Amino acid sequence: MNCIIKVENLGKKYQLNHLLSRSKDDMFFSSVKNKAKSFLKGKQVAEEFWAIRDVSFEIQKGDRVGIIGRNGAGKSTLLKMLSRIVAPTTGRIEYNGRMASLLEVGTGFHGDLTGRENIYLNGSILGMRKHEIDARFDEIVDFSEIEKFLDTPVKRYSSGMYVRLAFAVAAHLDPEILVVDEVLAVGDAAFQKKCLGKMQDVSAKDGRTILFVSHNMPSLTNLCNKGIVLKNGTIHQPLCNINDAVRSYVDLAESIEYQEIAARTDRQGEGKIKLTNCTVLNSENKKVNICVTGEKVILKLDYESLDFKNLDNITFAISINGSDGTFYSLIGNEFSGNPFQGLPSSGAVYCIINKWPITSGRYGLNIAINQNGFMQDWIKDAVFIDVEDGDYYGTGRLVPGTHRCVLMENTWKENL
Amino acid sequence: MQLNILTILWVYLKCLMKTIVDSQKANVLNLTEIFRFKDLLWNLAMRDVLVRYKQTIMGVLWAIVRPLVNIIIFGLLSQFIEHSTNVADKLVTVSAGVIIWGLISTSISDISNSILNNSNILTKVYFPKLIIPLSSLAVCLIDFAISFVILLIVKIAFVGMPSVAFFLFPLFVLYALVFSFSIGLFFATLNVKFRDIKFIIPFLLQVGFYVCPVFLSTQFYLDKLPEVLKPVFLSNPLVSIIDGFKYCLIGAEFLVPQVYFISGIVITLLLLFFSLRYFVKFEKTFADYI
Repeated sequence: MNCIIKVENLGKKYQLNHLLSRSKDDMFFSSVKNKAKSFLKGKQVAEEFWAIRDVSFEIQKGDRVGIIGRNGAGKSTLLKMLSRIVAPTTGRIEYNGRMASLLEVGTGFHGDLTGRENIYLNGSILGMRKHEIDARFDEIVDFSEIEKFLDTPVKRYSSGMYVRLAFAVAAHLDPEILVVDEVLAVGDAAFQKKCLGKMQDVSAKDGRTILFVSHNMPSLTNLCNKGIVLKNGTIHQPLCNINDAVRSYVDLAESIEYQEIAARTDRQGEGKIKLTNCTVLNSENKKVNICVTGEKVILKLDYESLDFKNLDNITFAISINGSDGTFYSLIGNEFSGNPFQGLPSSGAVYCIINKWPITSGRYGLNIAINQNGFMQDWIKDAVFIDVEDGDYYGTGRLVPGTHRCVLMENTWKENL
Repeated sequence: MQLNILTILWVYLKCLMKTIVDSQKANVLNLTEIFRFKDLLWNLAMRDVLVRYKQTIMGVLWAIVRPLVNIIIFGLLSQFIEHSTNVADKLVTVSAGVIIWGLISTSISDISNSILNNSNILTKVYFPKLIIPLSSLAVCLIDFAISFVILLIVKIAFVGMPSVAFFLFPLFVLYALVFSFSIGLFFATLNVKFRDIKFIIPFLLQVGFYVCPVFLSTQFYLDKLPEVLKPVFLSNPLVSIIDGFKYCLIGAEFLVPQVYFISGIVITLLLLFFSLRYFVKFEKTFADYI
């Protein structure tokens, strides 16, 4: 009786060539081509693609469920079907009560309308009645912290104000079921926290059911109590405790193949200087796959420039992230006071970390190359470093393995 | 006993709150749901009205300028083509024709494009899709109301107080709304899959402007048309609508024979039925195609 959402054998099929021809500009020609093809071959050339297949689960009232999966795993399609935006190809969904979906911040906001007008418009789009908005209007304005600009068109708002206003409306929705896509990725950290807090609050107090999609593992474990992991449109890990789900997702993420840096195309930046390789060396300058906490680690960054001139004012920066997306550190030659002038147009630079400070786990390095303050190249997870616990303090004692953390030099005394 | 009734009521209420999405079942028109979203309908309409006149100096005055210019142009044109000695009557008839045609043409074209124009909302939130064409229709009705006030002023100033027949005009406005809604809804559905529609609509409306007695009188068409084409001309529901509206305002003769008038209504209701069915059948695939 407590089951609030019941999903049975849900599936969504898309036809690939259909979508492709639609996105092309010369639709006429491609459709003529398709017609000719199907005429010659005697059948329609259609490739089927199941974005979601055979997904079934039941969610209890008051559960806060995180839906986890890599890009393309079908999370968004699942949410869209649950919130009735797209219709399923197979299967059945049953739920009790009102459902509100938050797949985007500020759906239907119109730049020419004032903050006040947009609150009413957005509220009614999200499914609130006029009297409900009237009743919560002051709360919404308070929450958004934009009281002074209530009668200014939102196109004059800063992006932060815009997001705050949009969230404020969404945070005051009052459905039995709330479906939230990765909308919390925008907005500043403090406000994100406020929103999460608000959602947690309502969920705990009124037993509201929440379905939440995010790539940010800390916010998932904070907000949710259960999780589902999706992989290629099917359920990889059925509904379980959120910590088990996150672990299962991390295992899944780590098993993906590693791609050569030089071959990667998912880069950002102007691209005049490119990172071509990154290798991890140990204290004997030998290439290693695993490094040990407390030992010397050298990162060799190979780069290449389009110009043949020597390169000035170049900075390299590396950010170190856990496999769950937790940010650990940002290092760069600019911060450590080792500027590079007159570098050859292609070559390598070395980053020496005397004592690797982070405990065991797998860490992804995002690497950026800047010149004169302009980003030339940026690669997410350019290389992964596997770390094993080592004797950081030289005492033979390790920090407990349950604590994945950054270690610091410290000494303890009875008197100063 | 009392508890029993309460339990039954509670179970009944719970059933009402239950939503079932089944891939095997076809969509049906759910009027209660549309009624539940009436605030959204109103807010979307208000958005379109407000946005149109934001950052303009003349503001809502623009809603008056367009029909006014049309009335002057087509009033003169009609005077050239079919000369009349009663200039005041002529002015009111032409105004009535131009204004009701304005309602029909803008609502057909706005409704046809309404689904595409609101694709950003359609792909993010669920609501009964019929809300969108309905809100476009509401916007057109608001515009019409403004120009109708001008028409009324012109009428009272030049011709005198309205007669009894005048009070029939809401019926003809309703007829016009139902007709343009049916046509617009059909094109709106097609428009989602085939963007060719947005090129066809202006063309169709231009043809419509000349085959309907918008600024020329129905008598003129009946005089000039060959005998074979007369039934075709008369069975066009728009001819009944425009002629009827003119009749209400000026009290001139209603020239459409009863048979054609009734058949026009039947055609319109059939159109409404089929385009609603077509729309409801395909509304759940809109987000896949937009």
